[in-house]
Amino acid sequence: MSVTHDEARKIAQLAELDVSEDALPLLAEQMSRILEYVAQINSVPASEGVKPFVPGPDAVRFRPDEVKPAPLAFGPAELAPAFRDGFFLVPKLGQFEDADA
Amino acid sequence: MSDPSEALASARAAADRILRVKRLNACLTPIKELRKSLVTQASAAHPSGVLYGMPVAVKDNICTLEFTTSCGSKILEGYRSPYEATAVAKLKAAGALIAGKTNCDEFGMGSSTEHSAYGRSLHPFDKARVPGGSSGGSAALVAAGAVPAALGSETGGSVRQPASLCGVVGIKPTYGRVSRYGLVAFGSSLDQIGVLGRSVHDAARVLSVISGRDPRDATCEDRDSLRLPNVPESLQGFVIGVPKEYFPQDLDPAVRRACDRAIRLLRELGAAVREVSLPHTPYAVATYYIIAPAEASSNLARYDGARYGPRFNGSADVRALYRTTRGEGFGPEVRRRVLVGTYVLSSGYYDAYYRKAQQMRALIAQDFRNAFDRGVDLLFTPTTPTPAFKAGEKLDDPVAMYLSDIFTVTANLAGLPAISLPIGRIKGLPIGGQLVGQAFLEDEMLEAAYALERAVPAGEEA
Repeated sequence: MSVTHDEARKIAQLAELDVSEDALPLLAEQMSRILEYVAQINSVPASEGVKPFVPGPDAVRFRPDEVKPAPLAFGPAELAPAFRDGFFLVPKLGQFEDADA
Repeated sequence: MSDPSEALASARAAADRILRVKRLNACLTPIKELRKSLVTQASAAHPSGVLYGMPVAVKDNICTLEFTTSCGSKILEGYRSPYEATAVAKLKAAGALIAGKTNCDEFGMGSSTEHSAYGRSLHPFDKARVPGGSSGGSAALVAAGAVPAALGSETGGSVRQPASLCGVVGIKPTYGRVSRYGLVAFGSSLDQIGVLGRSVHDAARVLSVISGRDPRDATCEDRDSLRLPNVPESLQGFVIGVPKEYFPQDLDPAVRRACDRAIRLLRELGAAVREVSLPHTPYAVATYYIIAPAEASSNLARYDGARYGPRFNGSADVRALYRTTRGEGFGPEVRRRVLVGTYVLSSGYYDAYYRKAQQMRALIAQDFRNAFDRGVDLLFTPTTPTPAFKAGEKLDDPVAMYLSDIFTVTANLAGLPAISLPIGRIKGLPIGGQLVGQAFLEDEMLEAAYALERAVPAGEEA
């Protein structure tokens, strides 16, 4: 499984991750190597009848639907890079550039 | 200990010891801040608690109110959590003192603690080597004698592998035994908080305190805290399986010799030892390195520079803000895993990778059930294929690094409890042996570990 530079670039866009053009060749090569290694599971015969294994409780337990104060020592204003009047501030949405994606 | 002056003395002594091993880069909390906090905590600690005055260091991906929680990452540099993990709250309620945050591979992704944005941690007995990872800081601090126990976290062996490499005890509980509330998510179906300790007893009593139900974590089982077993006189009645797939031809000879000696001692203690087969073991690392990155790519989507953590390139449009923040904030291993995870979940590849890996996971879990159904109580294996390796040795080869986890990932995939304990040394470097138990039967696993720990000459060359 060889990942091309274009594929690596596309995956990085899907993952919202900036990857410089200089870093792309090594990243594509390492991704290829990892994907080649993990693809060995396909040598095991099809196991369609196997029930998926999910650890943890058999059924999801629900909490009572009660309004409680948030158990936080301090609020988002102290955590956020930019916060005003109860809102997280972010730069405005630019043009969607995914036409090339 | 029940005297406040003793707790205070314990707090000061812990700070002094952590300062003395500063060269290991195992503790990320500045020593002045740590000392002040420890003294404050000692004054406020509950004298009736079972861990009163005991300093316990905490891995940097577990939320604390006292200290920052950076997960070893630049993307959370300086982050202060507004809440604390249930495990930490339980420790404090039992009178323990939170002895700083320990260095780790970024977000728990790594096997050497070289992938930390805050520099690598050193092996306590050989500075040219790694302490293992990702909970390498916790393991190094315990091995250096700075704290009797520390919390770590496991997704694929991140407690047991560094415990093995540093010569301490590491316990990974059954999935659902300990609340994950406040553990920063990496692979949610695999993650568990675990404990590293100087001895089985130290690690087990911390595990007992942090275990048990928590309404804040839906994956935490509705069970009482783990009750500690007594140290057994013998292992009469125990059936211990030795899976042949964990003893490949190329296993390090010293690791093999140490394991052979441990198996002989288990027999001498009265256990019946028999060879078993877990046939899907060879596919475990591949399975793990599909499922864990897939879950990571989803869990780490939240780091975008909008709500918390530092922001890079704040003046651009919002998409550029996300991409630049994530591109600059994540280190190389996290970037690789996010990309591999995104790839295996993407349209066209999902069936060949992710869906197939889920089927393999079920087969691996079934292997364990089959062994236990045939009368085996516990399994014994090496914890790692080699002793501690040299820093930089595997940094350029991600797959070689991933193979460090070859004997530990299966317990995470199957959700089972496992413990690593020292079973010998080679040229001064520790070797660990692993016991894998049945789900929620940690007490049986600990009984055998107590007995083996007493019998094995862990400091002797293998």
